[in-house]
Amino acid sequence: MRLKQTGLADIADDPVAFEAFYRRHFEAVTRFLARRVGDPHAVADLTAEVFLAVLDSAHTYRPGKGSEIAWLYGVARNTLLAERRRSARELRANSRIAGRRLLESDDVSRLEDRIDAESPARRAMEAMAGLPENDRALLELVAVDGLSPAEAAAALGIRQGTARVRLHRARRALQQIPGVVPPLVMEGHR
Amino acid sequence: MNDTFEDRLLAELKTEMAIRPARAAAPRRMTGRRIFAAAGVLGLAAAAAVAVPMVVGTDTPAYALTKNADGSINLKIHEFRDPDQVERDLAGMGVTADITYLPLGKWCGNLRVTPVDGDHLSMSPEELASEDPAVTEKARKRLLSSISYKAIEMRNGITIHPEYIKPGQVAVIEVAENQVKPTDSPGVVWSVRGHLSAGPAKPCQVVDQPGAFEVGDATPPPGS
Repeated sequence: MRLKQTGLADIADDPVAFEAFYRRHFEAVTRFLARRVGDPHAVADLTAEVFLAVLDSAHTYRPGKGSEIAWLYGVARNTLLAERRRSARELRANSRIAGRRLLESDDVSRLEDRIDAESPARRAMEAMAGLPENDRALLELVAVDGLSPAEAAAALGIRQGTARVRLHRARRALQQIPGVVPPLVMEGHR
Repeated sequence: MNDTFEDRLLAELKTEMAIRPARAAAPRRMTGRRIFAAAGVLGLAAAAAVAVPMVVGTDTPAYALTKNADGSINLKIHEFRDPDQVERDLAGMGVTADITYLPLGKWCGNLRVTPVDGDHLSMSPEELASEDPAVTEKARKRLLSSISYKAIEMRNGITIHPEYIKPGQVAVIEVAENQVKPTDSPGVVWSVRGHLSAGPAKPCQVVDQPGAFEVGDATPPPGS
């Protein structure tokens, strides 16, 4: 019998494993998206896209290289970037699942609540908008999404040393921006 | 309906999983016995799969499994669009079910079940190829006397008879529904296949079923 290395490869083929993964992370994914998108329908579309991307790329997850959530945030971030390159209409036309069609009024209000709850995070990200793209991506994952620097490095596919340098640089730059609340951006040290 | 976006999206994603091309698996040698068993199940499919011509009525009634006085359970085909919900509801009635919902034109091409005692699903290659009505009728009678067919009866949509399902056995049901309402009458609206398995079903390996849209000589089951 072959020793089984349990990565995430099974979740793309095994509905039970996929459901467990989905239930474990559904809320984190919608929150991640609610911090970046202000419209419940767009959050629903993107949630569907993120989990479809999970099915497509589960085989790329390596347990040794970071936590599930770090990998998942990496997938979510790539999905968002891809979405920003395409127009929203194009995204919907090509998507295999239209998330917004699955929404009922209760779901919309729940997502709106979530988006409201995440508004401080959105303001923090606006404050980071002036940073260079690479530094900003890293700081977002650490300061706003709550990953450790090592997990954020895994999510972005960069080395931990590189991440530390970039984080240090980003924090220093931010201290000079008026209106940024220091405790928020200082969280997540390890 | 008390399910949420989370539940509905999960159901869609599972459907998506089922219709994704199965990942290329390492080719495996089959023993003579396994080939025989696979042919048997496919034989059952030919006999028990029911293609349903144009169904009258467009409204989708509220979701409801119906439990009959004799303990049997009725399921209408549109209810399978949320396979997880059906599995949960059946579990609540004491039946372990594995439901796969596919678009018409796709089908699980692999042997998914572990055969149970009381199933006579094996057909010889001669029987499968035979055009002699006496031979096919005999094979058909044997298939229809199988426990699987008694437990998952193709009547009134699907009628499940829990008394034929032993503890630990799983009712494996595959439903393929036409995503486009047939405009030409007659057209195939849905097609369904059910087996009992002595344990959990293996994942569905989806294959094309090009002939699925043709009505052929299928007759609608009584009550549909």
